[in-house]
Order: sequence, then structure tokens, then C-alpha cells
Amino acid sequence: MSMLSSVAERLYWMARYLERTEDTARLIKTYNHLIMDIPKGAEPPWDIMIDILDAQSMFRARFKVGSEQNVLKFLIADDKATCGIPFAARAMRENVRTTRDVLPEEAWELVNGLHLFVENEAARSSGRRHRHHFLSEVIGRCQMINGLIGASLPRDHAYGFIKLGRLIECTDMTTRVMDVAAGDIMNRAGRFGTIEPLLWGSLLQVLSAAGAYRREVGPIVEKAATLNFVLRSTEFPRSIKYCVRETRKELMRLKNHDFAIRATERLRRRLARLDVEQVTREELHYYVDNFQQQLNRLDAAIHATWFHGESA
Amino acid sequence: MSKPWRSYRTGAFFDELMTDRGSPRVTPRRAINFFRGLSADELQARRSAAELAIKEMGISFTVHTEQDNIDRAWPYDMIPRIISAREWATLSRGLAQRTRALNCFIDDIYNQQRILIDDIVPADIVLESDNYKSQCEGFSPRFGVWAHICGSDLVRDHRGRFFVLEDNLRVPSGVSYMLENREISKRVVPELFRNYSILPVDDYPLKLYEMLAALSPRTAKRPNIVVLTPGIYNAAYFEHAFLAQGMGAELVEGTDLTVTDDDCVYMLTVDGSVRVDVIYRRIDEDFIDPEAFRADTVLGVPGLMRAWRSGKVAIANAPGAGVADDKVIYAFVPEMIRYYLKETPLLSNVPTYLCVREQDREYVLKNISKLVIKPANESGGYGIMVGPHSSPAQHRRYARLIESDPRNYIAQPTLCLSTGPTLIENTVQPRHLDLRPFILQSKDVWVTPGGLTRVALKKGSLVVNSSQGGGSKDTWVVEGKP
Repeated sequence: MSMLSSVAERLYWMARYLERTEDTARLIKTYNHLIMDIPKGAEPPWDIMIDILDAQSMFRARFKVGSEQNVLKFLIADDKATCGIPFAARAMRENVRTTRDVLPEEAWELVNGLHLFVENEAARSSGRRHRHHFLSEVIGRCQMINGLIGASLPRDHAYGFIKLGRLIECTDMTTRVMDVAAGDIMNRAGRFGTIEPLLWGSLLQVLSAAGAYRREVGPIVEKAATLNFVLRSTEFPRSIKYCVRETRKELMRLKNHDFAIRATERLRRRLARLDVEQVTREELHYYVDNFQQQLNRLDAAIHATWFHGESA
Repeated sequence: MSKPWRSYRTGAFFDELMTDRGSPRVTPRRAINFFRGLSADELQARRSAAELAIKEMGISFTVHTEQDNIDRAWPYDMIPRIISAREWATLSRGLAQRTRALNCFIDDIYNQQRILIDDIVPADIVLESDNYKSQCEGFSPRFGVWAHICGSDLVRDHRGRFFVLEDNLRVPSGVSYMLENREISKRVVPELFRNYSILPVDDYPLKLYEMLAALSPRTAKRPNIVVLTPGIYNAAYFEHAFLAQGMGAELVEGTDLTVTDDDCVYMLTVDGSVRVDVIYRRIDEDFIDPEAFRADTVLGVPGLMRAWRSGKVAIANAPGAGVADDKVIYAFVPEMIRYYLKETPLLSNVPTYLCVREQDREYVLKNISKLVIKPANESGGYGIMVGPHSSPAQHRRYARLIESDPRNYIAQPTLCLSTGPTLIENTVQPRHLDLRPFILQSKDVWVTPGGLTRVALKKGSLVVNSSQGGGSKDTWVVEGKP
């Protein structure tokens, strides 16, 4: 059975918001965990999370100081912050509201439940006491939705566009984390050298890659191996290489895919071009920036080929 | 008997579940005994469970005045309305009969107009109505059926007799709530289902699918059926999505569809254009096609009427079906049944005074404080004046309205609507209710077992519409010995 363009677009965005909700929650949770292990004065600033989510200007319009409290309020309890959890959870729900007819019956209840949980708990969860529970619950509920989709949605167009949305959002998040978090670690240039493995380890945790890294690479966490894993692991489903390869596979199943496939090929070629041993902070930033531009072109190609043109 | 029931008095009204001596009626006896065995705390606990289920299931409806909040939790009362299968059989036959006659009428009106020529229904009332659509003249849809989905409102008077209050033939809504009410009941009072053989309602989406599929202009095994919705801000959007999902059909908005030069309707999909066979429209006909009706609509599809008239697509309900959904035309339904079907009407109308008739109008103006005045052409309970509940100033205002536009008003005696036990805070109290069954017709006619029971939650109120503070109950048609 074919699929309405407008429905395909909403599913794509539903998946992006679902991935964004989970990734943002994991980013906050990991950072929160990390901060307790780092000696005073050596920790990255709280608003590094705002940098990762590329939301400094919006954040500064609401808060003067990038303090713990303000950053967490912004990401956990502010339903107008487009990079925050409440916004993403709501946007996900609005997209499911208009596509529930093509999703498994339970999808609406789960997505609605996540939205209600965030709405009810967010206000009291930006403080340290409830934060952990809140974030774990959000991550768990997102995983449940992904599990439902994976286990019971037929492998037709609905699944295809959901998968595309998730892969592209995941690539986006992974590159952002690489740019900002890796950049911060590299900026330290030997200061606080003892905590460097801890920082690289956290970067892996943000991407839920720590266990996979240990098994594939080993227990020693350092810069080149970490960058290489995040960028080029062929087996880890959040590595950029994996995401790009799967994106290509999904696109090949669709009609009229030439334009989008060309954009994907450009991403793939770019992947080979980073020397993880020698790369400097500036080179990494330039590389990621360029990669993100290509990713945006792929997103635009998908919109132009299969969607309506109305934005989510 | 637990405390919440102690002050239950049926008063002058017919109560669905209790006799006026305060004992349960025969069919619902076991259910009543079950509820009477629950303490106030236990009732509250179950009510909380129901509210949680409703919230989790995301059952909501929209009230147009609440602009920011498009979700309002569905108001459900856990004490079901119970009807015996024997009683239901008669009602069901009566409803099917009405719908068949109404469809004969609509098909006649847009073609030979025999009923007007024979002067059974006055021609000017029909032809001068806003609901008469000249765009439909000389066309007859498949099976001669125009109103494929009909929602008729039934009420009972103080003696327990059923009457039809109105027939909704445009885009009747509420059926998804009928289905969801049953789902909630199964979660909240599962014990009761052990004791009763309750006719299931959840095959409605399947029946709807079969009815619509029979309309397809092509012979493909699985026709392409779409549900056309105005979008998420519509009060019944939840239902549109619910039914599309239940039928495995596409839920579309006007912008998803186009009509090309071959007069076929296509939907825009990721594989390109795909032809549509049947449209279940949930948009008022005035908005479905800017070429044929209101030019300023953004909800509709240009050329849709052209496609429909050339037989390339079926539309349910057919455009123009609203001509029979008018409270003046309503008064003639018993005549239609005799005229077209040569049968005796099985269900009664509420006595209706047509203000357009001089004699009736005089009576209405004299007795306005005792009557219910309704505009001929509104739905959702808007514009109704209940004489005994209104002030002399309102009586005068309606008298002026009637005199300036008599065609647009009808009057009916104030009915003592029946009541049913309803949980109000910590006590069970009688509240007025009605019943909306749904009737499907294309190749065959089919009636839902039961329907949506709507209940006025305010004490003494007769207004059951959800948009005006009404609630709802699960409706059980039960088989076998009580």
C-alpha cells in the first residue's frame, strides 16, 4: 500500500522528535553524571549542552547566566525551547495525532503517555533530586516506543520514513556532540590530563556507545580511537558511517531517489576524509560544519522528493 | 444498599434502570445490585481508573471556544444504560425503516420529485431550503442511497415510549465515543461482563468499511477508501483518525487530493498519484469543492463534484443529503414511510408544530412558554429555547424570530426525557439522557446494537450535547433471561 506524502512527512518528523527527545535526555543525564566525578574547576561549563544543541541565542534571550539551574530549566522545564524535552515530546505527539491510523494501535497511548509524563513532571524535575529519575523515565519511554515500532510495524513506507527520520536525527546529534564535546576536550590541551579518558568516556555514553566501544576497541578510551569509533564503526548503530549506510539503503527502496542518493553519496565520501590522529580542534570544527551542511542538503532533498512542502 | 444510592428518587420521569418505587428494573437488576454494593470510596476509585484510562487512551474532543486547548478529556459515566435485546429489535427495525424512507425521499427530490407533485410534502419548503443543492439535480448515486451514515437521536418520554427527535444525515459524529465507552467499561467494571451477554459494538469500523466498499466505482478487490477530514482543529478529529485506523483507510485533508482532467480523484503519495474510489467525507458539503459550492473554502478539493457526478468517485454522505436533515422535513418522515415504502412507521416522531403553517404558528406563539423552539437548520443543540426554562424576555425574543422567519422554526412539546442513574460527586443521581444509534446503508441497511448515550450532567438540564457540558454512558443491548 502506498502512503500519503503528508503522512510520510509527519512520520519522518515524529521519528526525528522521538530521537531528539531521547538524545537530549541522555545528553543531560550523562553530563549530570560526569560533573560529579570531575574536580572543581576542571568541569566543562553547564552551557556546553546549549552549544551542542546549537541554542545559545535562544537561551541567552531567556537567561543571562549559563548556570546549572538555568540550563536545566531551559532543557527540562521550558516548553517553548525548541531544543528542549517538553517541546520535542509535544511535537512528537502532534505528529502521531495525525498519523495514528498508520501506526500500531498502542503507539498513540505510549506517545501520549510520554507527553503527559513530561508535562506533569518537568516542573519539579530540573532540580538535582528528581532529575535522574525523570531523565531515565523519558529515555525508557522513548525506547519503548522505538521497541513497539521495531517489533510490530510492517516494513513498508511507514517504517521506512520513520527509520529515515531517526537516522538523520541521529547523525545530526552525533556530529554535534563530536564537534562541541570533542572540541572542549581537545581545547584543554593537556591540562587536567588525568580526567581526559573520563571525558572521552562520557562522550561515548552520550551516544550510548560506551559498551559497544569496549567490546570493539577495548577498555582504553582516547581521542583518535573514540573519534574513529563514533565516525566509522561499521557495526554500532549510532555511528555516522552506520547511519549513512542505512539511510542509503532506505532511500534505495523508494521511487525517484536519485537526488537524495546523490546527497547521501557526498556524505559517504566525506566520511573517509578525516585524519583522526592528526586533526586539530579547528579542523574538526570545520569538518563537522561542512558535514552538517551536506546533511541539511540531504534533508532538503527528502522533503523536495517525497513530501508536501508543508513544514512540521 | 450503599450510601451513594440512598437518596435516589426517579420523580416524575421514566428511569432507564429503576422503577418509580426505587427498585431495579428486571434487565439491569444485576448491574444495579453490583453498583449498589459499592461504597462511595469504591465508586471514586473506579471513577479515577476511568479518568486515567481516558487520559491514557487520549480520548478527547474539541470545544470551539477553547482556542488553546484542543483536547478535553471525554466525560464518561461508569453506570451503563441497559436495554433488552427484545426491545432493541423493534427500535432497530424502526431505524432502518426510517433511513430507507429518507434515502428514497432524497433521491426523489433530486430527480422526479414525485412526493412534491403528489403534494405529500409542500414543494416550497423543500426547494427554497438552503439545504437543497441544485448542483445535485438529475443525479442518482449508486443504490439510490444518499445518506449512507445516519445518526438518529432517540428519547423516551415519562411513560417510557421511544420517540425519534431528529435524524442527522450530514456528517453525524459520536460513533467513536460509543466504541471507546465500551473499551473503558471493560477496563473499569470488568466484573459486570461476566453476568451479561452484551451485544458487541466493536465491529462498527468493519461494517463501515463494507458499506463504503460497496460504493466503489471500480471492481478492485480492495478499493481505495479515504476519510476526508478538515484537520486537527475540528471537534471530531479524534473520531476521523479513529475510523480511518479502524478501516485501514487513509486519513486525508483536502490538500492531499486532486481532481485531474479525466475527472478522477487522486491522492498524492510517496509513490506518485494513486486513484481514490470512495471518500468518507467529514467536511460539510458547503466546503468540499470551491468550484461547486463556497469558493472561499481551503478545506475542499476543486473539481470533486465533477468527479462525483461523472461516477468516478463515491462520496458518503452524498452532497445534497442534508436536504432531509431539516427539522421541518423531519415532521414529514412518517408520511415518507407510508408513501415510499407502503409501510406503517414503527417509530414515532415527537409531535412537531411547523411555524411556517399559519395555524401551527398561532398555537406556538400563544403557548411559547410551554414549548421547545428549535431552528430548523442548526445542530449541536445551538439556538434552542426551552420554554419552561426561559425568561419572558427570551420568549418575546423567540416570538419575534419566529414571526420574521417562520420557515426556520419549529416547536415541540417539552418532553420529560427519561433519566438514568449517574455518579455525581459522591452520590448517584438521576440525570436526563438520550440515545444516538447509527444506521449504515448502501447495498444493505445495518444498525448499531445500541448507540451513544448522552447524558446531561447538570441537574434538571435537558441539554446533552458534549459541546455544552454533556457526558456519556456505555450502552448495552443485552440478550437472554435477566
